[in-house]
Amino acid sequence: MTVELFAVFLGSSIRLAMPLLIAALGELVSERGGVLNMSVEGMMLAGAFGGAVGAWATGSPGLGLLCGLLAALPVALLQAVLTVGLRANQVVTGLGLNILVLGTTTLAYREIFGARSRDEIPGFATWKPPLLGDIPVFGEAVFRQVWLVYAAIPLVAVLAFVLRRTALGITLTAAGQDPRTVERAGLSVTSIRFGAVLTTGFMAALAGTFLSIGDIHTFTEGMTNGAGYLAIAAVIFGNWTVGRTVLACFLFGAATALQFQLPAMGIVVPNALLVMLPYLLAFLAVAGLVGRQTAPRALAVPHWR
Amino acid sequence: MSSSSFRLALDLLTPVLAVVAALLIGTILVAVIHVPLPDAFESFVDGTVGSPYAIAVSLNRAVVYALVGLGFVLAARAGLTNVGGEGQIAVGGIAATAVALWGPIAGLPFGLAFIVPLLTAAIAGAAWAALAGVLKARVGTNEVISTLLLSFIAVWLVYGCVQSEALLRRPMTSAATLPESLPIPDATQVPLLTGDPAAPVTIGLVLAGILALVVAMVLNRSRFGFQLAAVGLNPIASRRAGFSYGLTVTLALALAGALGGLAGGLMLLGEQYTLRAGFSSGYGFDGLVVGLLARGSVLGVIAAALLFGFLRSAGITMEMEAGIPTALVQILQGLIILAVAGAAFWLDRRAPGSRKAP
Repeated sequence: MTVELFAVFLGSSIRLAMPLLIAALGELVSERGGVLNMSVEGMMLAGAFGGAVGAWATGSPGLGLLCGLLAALPVALLQAVLTVGLRANQVVTGLGLNILVLGTTTLAYREIFGARSRDEIPGFATWKPPLLGDIPVFGEAVFRQVWLVYAAIPLVAVLAFVLRRTALGITLTAAGQDPRTVERAGLSVTSIRFGAVLTTGFMAALAGTFLSIGDIHTFTEGMTNGAGYLAIAAVIFGNWTVGRTVLACFLFGAATALQFQLPAMGIVVPNALLVMLPYLLAFLAVAGLVGRQTAPRALAVPHWR
Repeated sequence: MSSSSFRLALDLLTPVLAVVAALLIGTILVAVIHVPLPDAFESFVDGTVGSPYAIAVSLNRAVVYALVGLGFVLAARAGLTNVGGEGQIAVGGIAATAVALWGPIAGLPFGLAFIVPLLTAAIAGAAWAALAGVLKARVGTNEVISTLLLSFIAVWLVYGCVQSEALLRRPMTSAATLPESLPIPDATQVPLLTGDPAAPVTIGLVLAGILALVVAMVLNRSRFGFQLAAVGLNPIASRRAGFSYGLTVTLALALAGALGGLAGGLMLLGEQYTLRAGFSSGYGFDGLVVGLLARGSVLGVIAAALLFGFLRSAGITMEMEAGIPTALVQILQGLIILAVAGAAFWLDRRAPGSRKAP
């Protein structure tokens, strides 16, 4: 691999890992609180759709971002009301929401855009940091990224801090491990989990707008195409911790980037293997073959007072 | 009215209300996208009961949903949520194709030419799902997570199998050769019930009916059914009663997987005849939803499978004939799922003993 190719590979790995990372950290918040939030796929799709429509209608990617967040809000609210409030089966609710969002965005997209689907949608500006961006070869290829990539860094830091060091984070983890004890301590598991699901909605929507107006400046029907499920796999492979989930996302991003890079370099690797790799790794991890896995004990278990 | 028949009435009423409400919303949506209502209605009828072909296709679809749904209900009795239907269909399809394409099979007498591939499909599905069972018993892995991951792996396994000539891809004669398997030999195709290609409903329909009966008997009348329920309701007490937890959960998931694998085999040998990437697309997850909506009852599985089978077929015809995107049916399906999943709260509250049920 030449240095130039390697730089391109690094850059595209980061670009591909980013939406995954933002969504996976959102999913992590829900799962730490005991909610297996399968609708992260639908939340991302709603965010991507809202972002694209908003940016196209207003001409401003910033307002598009806002629209994306608003579009994912009803999905998150439904997920929270149904699974936390009404204790509906979390997996089925998630799958139901995903199919509902897929249908709704597809229908709405055809109604709104119709024949104008080739219209350019304004997207986020790119930016490169002053010093790192000046490194020859790598500066442009690796560090010139959409500003959302750089905005994600403090976001991750804050999230990690809240989860590890604050009462809120510890309570959240407790709600996923032993909800009865949390309840006995006088705290409401319901409100904690409700908040966790809404947080996931916010993060997934950000990730979704990254897909539509950050990366490729267009919306296509069902464009998330399983990215949400990949985020769930990242959380599992990440053993429900922030650090390992971030690593998992970069690993999965690199695996995706390789799918495009290897053929260009004339190396033949079964494509299916690379696409499957994240799920395979996550499976090996939960099978206990890659260290000990500790899922939240109350994951996917509805809480009854 | 006794409380149990009251509960049954509620159980039946909820999905019916949900379906009616969803159809109403669907009608409004049709009007919103400026499709004349009579056109929509006509294509809906065409796609569901308008022709023997439409009925047959809907029934074949319902058979797949029913098999996966039965598996879900069976595993749910042992307190397990089998999210792996999609993957079990996929490995079933791979196994059925591989065996059907293997030289000597097509020459077998007495219908063994399609029975052997179908059995292999069921075994492959069972083995695939049993992996999750073993993990649950040995490592304590949450079966929701393991079966979900196994589904994604299996879906990409199909993709890999039809991409590689060393596996199931048909020999490449030109650059335009599609990434798919060779068509299976005629002798290995599952026979049609009517014998008439204009109404291609397969004997899978009869098979699914028999299996539904068997599952109902096993769940409600057999020692094994009791064992499943015991483990599902209270693993610790059931262990004291002498039931092995590990064996029970592994068997439950394996049986669910066998039903899913069989569904995949039927799809391949009865309808598609050629293995293609994504052939299972969504069937397994729809089947899971069918199983959940059934709320543990075999009759419920049959009703929900028929509903979704016909609804999906209607969606496809409505797109072709009236220009209504299939997305509309997806919306309706999503609404029905959410309504019934959410309503479980009120239903379960009336039966304090079954709080753990879906």
